[in-house]
Amino acid sequence: MTFKIHMIAGLSLLVGAVAACSNPADTPTDDATAAPQPVLTIYSSRHYDSDKELFAMFEEQSGARLDVRESGASQLLETMRAEGDQSPADVIIAADAGSLWRFQDAGLTQPLSSAALNNVVPANYRESDGNWFGVARRIRGIAYDPDRWTPEELARWDLLASEDKAGESCVRSTSNIYNLSLMSELIHRYGNEAAQTWATAIVGNMARNPQGGDTDQIRAIAAGECSLAIVNHYYWIRLGASETEADQLVAASTSFLVPEFVEGSGSHVNITGAAVTTTADDLKLAEDFIAFLLTETGQSYVTRDTKELPLLDTTALPDGVEKVPAFVASDTQLDVYGENQAEAQRLFDLAGWN
Amino acid sequence: MARTKPKLSVCLTSRVGIKLKRGKAERSMPRLTLSFSAIPPLLVIALVGLPVFAAIFAGVSTGDGATWTHIFENRLVPYTATTLWVLFLSAAIMIALAVPAAWLISQYEFPGRSIFNWALILPLAMPGYVMAYAWADVMGVAGPLQTQLREWTGLSARDYWFPNLFSAPGLAFVLASTLFPYVYITARAAFSMQSLATLEAARSLGAKPFDLFWRVAIPVAAPAIIGGLCLALMEAAADYGAADFLGIQTLGVGIIRSWTSFGEPNTAARLALMLIFIAGTFLVAARIFQGQRGTQQTSVRWRTPQRSDMPVWAGISAFALCTAFLLICFFVPMSRLIWLLLEHQARAPDLMPLIRSTLILGAMGAATAFVAALVFSLATKRHESLRLGARLVAAAGYAAPGAVLGLGALYILRETGQSLSGAIAIGFLIWIYVSRFTSAGVEPMQATLARLPKNLDQASHSLGVTGLRQFWRVDLPLIAPGAFAAALILFVEILKELPATLMLRPFGWDTLAVRAHAYATDERLAQATLPALLIVLAGLAPVLLLSWRLSQSERT
Repeated sequence: MTFKIHMIAGLSLLVGAVAACSNPADTPTDDATAAPQPVLTIYSSRHYDSDKELFAMFEEQSGARLDVRESGASQLLETMRAEGDQSPADVIIAADAGSLWRFQDAGLTQPLSSAALNNVVPANYRESDGNWFGVARRIRGIAYDPDRWTPEELARWDLLASEDKAGESCVRSTSNIYNLSLMSELIHRYGNEAAQTWATAIVGNMARNPQGGDTDQIRAIAAGECSLAIVNHYYWIRLGASETEADQLVAASTSFLVPEFVEGSGSHVNITGAAVTTTADDLKLAEDFIAFLLTETGQSYVTRDTKELPLLDTTALPDGVEKVPAFVASDTQLDVYGENQAEAQRLFDLAGWN
Repeated sequence: MARTKPKLSVCLTSRVGIKLKRGKAERSMPRLTLSFSAIPPLLVIALVGLPVFAAIFAGVSTGDGATWTHIFENRLVPYTATTLWVLFLSAAIMIALAVPAAWLISQYEFPGRSIFNWALILPLAMPGYVMAYAWADVMGVAGPLQTQLREWTGLSARDYWFPNLFSAPGLAFVLASTLFPYVYITARAAFSMQSLATLEAARSLGAKPFDLFWRVAIPVAAPAIIGGLCLALMEAAADYGAADFLGIQTLGVGIIRSWTSFGEPNTAARLALMLIFIAGTFLVAARIFQGQRGTQQTSVRWRTPQRSDMPVWAGISAFALCTAFLLICFFVPMSRLIWLLLEHQARAPDLMPLIRSTLILGAMGAATAFVAALVFSLATKRHESLRLGARLVAAAGYAAPGAVLGLGALYILRETGQSLSGAIAIGFLIWIYVSRFTSAGVEPMQATLARLPKNLDQASHSLGVTGLRQFWRVDLPLIAPGAFAAALILFVEILKELPATLMLRPFGWDTLAVRAHAYATDERLAQATLPALLIVLAGLAPVLLLSWRLSQSERT
């Protein structure tokens, strides 16, 4: 008897599952030609509500439908490689020039000679041939305990490698692309050997093994485990804008600065950018979409939730971002972040930076 | 026995949608019939094994990248050593948690026993990466424990020692606390079903409770415990989410890093081979061990031994121990997540579509993997020769990280020139679920089959019950307890699955795990808590059902 009940239970589960299969789940069809409405397919490595609102605005304005696949940049890249000519992707949005370069390197992007985009995006924030264009800026800088350090003591990246910082540094693992891109610019400026020496010295100065994300490093400063950390600016800003008092206290008890490489070199800046794929059906629509991200409205939504810096100087900063101190950006062409990426990971591995 | 094989094949093939022509002549051609009935399991083996094989093939067939040389020279040994160390520690923690709890619950009456009996399975609903988020928050330098400690003592964060979760032992703890129910379930079943005669004999020879446990119960239950442990360790080996979050350099992390930072998926696939090798070694070692130890009981009196009463102090200790396990492995991390959710009042909009996709994909994946596991189990019951091979193939899928199987699927996609959208994407995703999790379904079914007397087949034949009727009236009811457990475990595992879903899901099919991961990678843990909690909640129903079902079967 009990066997029968088990059997029935098991089978009903099976039947339920099969019923669920046949449930006409309303997946949007990807076939652009079948729909009267033009479709723009976006592969995005971002997941912000403000993006969704912005995309809806573009849909309304252009009359096109946006299909968005959100995933990690590496997953999207591998998906596009596998899809080849069949890929529905028209536009890629990815954080970090290093990521965008990898799409380009895999032959998945196409150069766009767009006067409209070239006029708006500074030359070093777009790929030389127009394979990708920056739409927002992000800074990798230093969060620190203002009771322990003056800004002058942290004004340059090489100062983090000095002996007085022994046991003071917190930083995340090098799986993360932000560290790879910073290292890539160091390699570009000073060569492999110097970059590896720098990384080895940083490892020697660590207060603890690399762990957690950037936010965790800032919290560790507030808790007193270390007194400085290499972090992206927006993590510090978001702590200050948090709903909880504990997070606000963390932000209030720490400071953030934007170091240079040498005096007058300018500072390491990265981008979130967009690229048009080789499989894009409607180049005009794709270009319009990227241009839309670079309008005043586009810029304010792209940066509203992320707390990135707008690419356009004219756009007002998102709430809280005004706390980032003024800086001069490095004029390094961002192509190098991608070109040096694998070497950066190799040097980190050799330096023992997990 | 050979007579019935073609009939079995018919009922099985009808379930995988393949029709075989079957002539009456087969009765006199045993060789041919053997090969016919082996077709469904062989097809399933191919289905399960192909993504792993494709990933490995793609990895090995392309030349050595610069990265492979670097990884091989500088990282392979540390990755492997760290992985083995983490697995060893997890195994130790899982045994330390599961075996005493299972023994106490199966043998003694103490306060709360009937609740602990099922509640100790709850951690199974918790994905490893969610456990890592929660415990990292609790234990971190800025977390509530350390903050309180500093407030009380006035010390600074550098003045005291505190257990560091961001370490290999920390990772082992996180993985063990979500996976120990596998060991607990098998250990409890083994203890409950111990031959009464064996225990009575030991008692009558004057064995003390501790001796009874250590010298009689453990050796007899060891094969089952090893089986559960094997499953748990394969799952632990494939982990990426928790290890990456805690910054531990395991092979799982190395695989993803070779792919993402170095841009060499083929190197990732080669590293995966190492993981698969480790899992295969476990499985073979377990098999050898079980083969040596598994046949010692001769008494057929399987009735559950009477549970003994405990002295009051021992009862309270047992209660405290089980409470502590339950708090550590479930309620503390859950409470912390709920706390974070309330504290931040984080919004996570549009969760309904996520819940729907999660449940639909979970049900479809579980149903398909269930059929695969059923074919495996019933067929290998008939074909001894297929058994180890089939289980090794399933184990390879189980031990391969989801991302590697995802790469295998993308390789196949590329070779077939398809786009990853709509039904094709769902098909690939379900396929990867099958490849990844069939092993988790096969193990409970095999455990059930292993306990059955071998002469049941002959008995059913002598009563004229063969073929489809045999499948419905004999095989299925007999395997039902294990099959039921298998279906639930598969559903829960697929609910929690992240990397393959992330890679292969089509538009509009984001799952809760995908959303939780997206928020977590943006370091928006407060927002990640709601989808993460929903995964746990979705998993709780099947886990509770499983728990109830298991306690029923052990009572009867």
